[in-house]
Parts: sequence; C-alpha cells; structure tokens
Amino acid sequence: MSPSRVVPLTFARGAIEKIAKSRSRRADVKSTRVLDVALFYSYFKTLVGKPVTVELKNDLAIAGTLVSVDQYLNIKLENTRVTDEARYPHMRSVRNCFIRGSVVRYVQLPEAAVDVDILHDATRREARGA
Amino acid sequence: MSAAEEDAAVREPLDLIRLALDEKVYVKLRGDREARGRLHAYDQHLNMILGDVEEVITSTETDEETFEEFTKTTKRSVPFLFIRGDAVTLVSPPLRS
Amino acid sequence: MSAPTLTNMLDARVSVITNDGRHIVGTLRGFDQVTNVILEDCAERVYSSESGVEEAPLGVYMIRGDNVALVGPVDEELDAELDLSETRAPPLKAIKF
Repeated sequence: MSPSRVVPLTFARGAIEKIAKSRSRRADVKSTRVLDVALFYSYFKTLVGKPVTVELKNDLAIAGTLVSVDQYLNIKLENTRVTDEARYPHMRSVRNCFIRGSVVRYVQLPEAAVDVDILHDATRREARGA
Repeated sequence: MSAAEEDAAVREPLDLIRLALDEKVYVKLRGDREARGRLHAYDQHLNMILGDVEEVITSTETDEETFEEFTKTTKRSVPFLFIRGDAVTLVSPPLRS
Repeated sequence: MSAPTLTNMLDARVSVITNDGRHIVGTLRGFDQVTNVILEDCAERVYSSESGVEEAPLGVYMIRGDNVALVGPVDEELDAELDLSETRAPPLKAIKF
C-alpha cells in the first residue's frame, strides 16, 4: 500500500485532536464524534473470538467467529457458514471473509458475551460527552 | 441546573433516545422492517444494541393463481441484536402511562 | 487483534460479492484502505433458478470499494468439489441502503 493513502488519515486525526484540545464547548462536540465511533468499535473488539451472525443489506446472513473489527466496523469472520445455504450457495467454498461495515444491517450477538450494565454505562458516558 | 436535571433535560433529538436507555423501544428500519426490544446501547449514528428483540418484516407477494397481491409478515426473535444506524428510519420511546 | 484487511488474501483466489449482487471470483492482486480491489483472471459466476451457474470470463477488474460487500478467499479444494452446473439459485439481491 502506498504511504500517501495512510498519511491523509493520520493527518486528519491529528488535526481533529488538536482542535478538540484547543477549543472549548464546540470542539468537545467534535471530539465526542471521534470517540463516538469508539463505543461500538470497542464493544465489538470484546467479542473477538466469539460466534456472531452478520446479516447484510442483501439479506445474506453469515455465521462465524469474529476475528477482527476496525473503526468503520468492517468485520472479519472465520469458520463461516451461510445460514440459508440452499438459497445462497455462493459462499460454499469460502471459510473466512472480510465484510465491509457499510453493507451490514444487523449483527446477532452471543447472549453469554453481552453485559448490559457495561453497555448502559458506556452509552451514558458517551452521551454526556465524557 | 443540577446534574440530575441536566440528565433529564431534552435539548436535542438524541436526548430522547438517551432517556429511553434500558426501556423497550420501537425501531423502524429501511426495507419494511420493524424491531421492538430493550435499548442497551446507541451512538449518534443510531447504531444500537437491542435485547429481547422481536423483528417483523413486511413483504408484498403475488398469489400465483389469482395474481392478487397480499402482504406477508414474518416475525422472529433474537436475544441480542446490533443494528447499524444507517438502516434506521425512526425510533420511538416507550409510551408512558 | 489486528485490523481487518485483505493482506492474507493477496495473490490468492478470492470470492467478491458486489453491492449490485454479482459474484466475482479472481486472483487478488491489490487492494487499499477503502477496499478498492484489483482482480486478475476473474470471472463472474452468474446464478439462475432455472439453469446451472455460468462463468463469464472478465480478465482484469478493478472494483471500486464502495461497491464491494464481501471478500473471502476461495478454498480451492472445496471449490473443485462444487458442481456449478448443478447449482441452482436465484441471483443475489443488491445491497439496499
């Protein structure tokens, strides 16, 4: 990958952080926007290694183990299995995949890995802009 | 304003969602989908996590013999569901009686 | 956890599902942060409910990231076992935002 693609993003993040530090209330709104992506990004990071089912906006549903996630909520899964393989035979020879965050409609979460108190606290903290 | 009053104030649309945290909400989504469930997390994109979710999908189908159109609803339950905000069109907090 | 990338799939055969519902199989020769991908020796697998899967050769394709829904490496052994001429399925729907 060419470094020219990386540099603009690094620059932008640095600039936003600087603005957030130097300004008061209005800048705080901006800085929470940056943090805001982090709520679900951080949460999905805690689900790495756990089984999830990702449903796409074309109705394709893929079950698998969560391998990784990034700030766009792009997702990597392994040991994948399409839920309705008869209707969707396209992925029969694919056992792991990268899913673009923008095409995700739902992610079914493993019940055992959801702590609602932690979610409530994290959400309140973010809503306050902490 | 005290901290408690500050927390209860509604100044912008998302404050209404904040007050619905840990309450049952109704969410309308693109593609004739609706979900009801307990709101456990959200952000300002309206990404959210709902618990004890009931999802209803409404679709229009055509009878193969009479060619009459009818609407079909499909229901399902999901224990915990992350919903991506860009599919959300409406959020309604619980009715207070 | 490293960020999700396509690095481990470079120079491998991959399946790409595009937002307009096409399924393209080819050798991944390049990609970037926005999921633009370069595929060599690629072919579209065209699905139909009435007849088997047809493969339409396409040569080299650069698919714009906006239009990429999913990328996954093809397990060549599993793929060789597939009888595509006997596979019947309606075409994939487009991604509806």
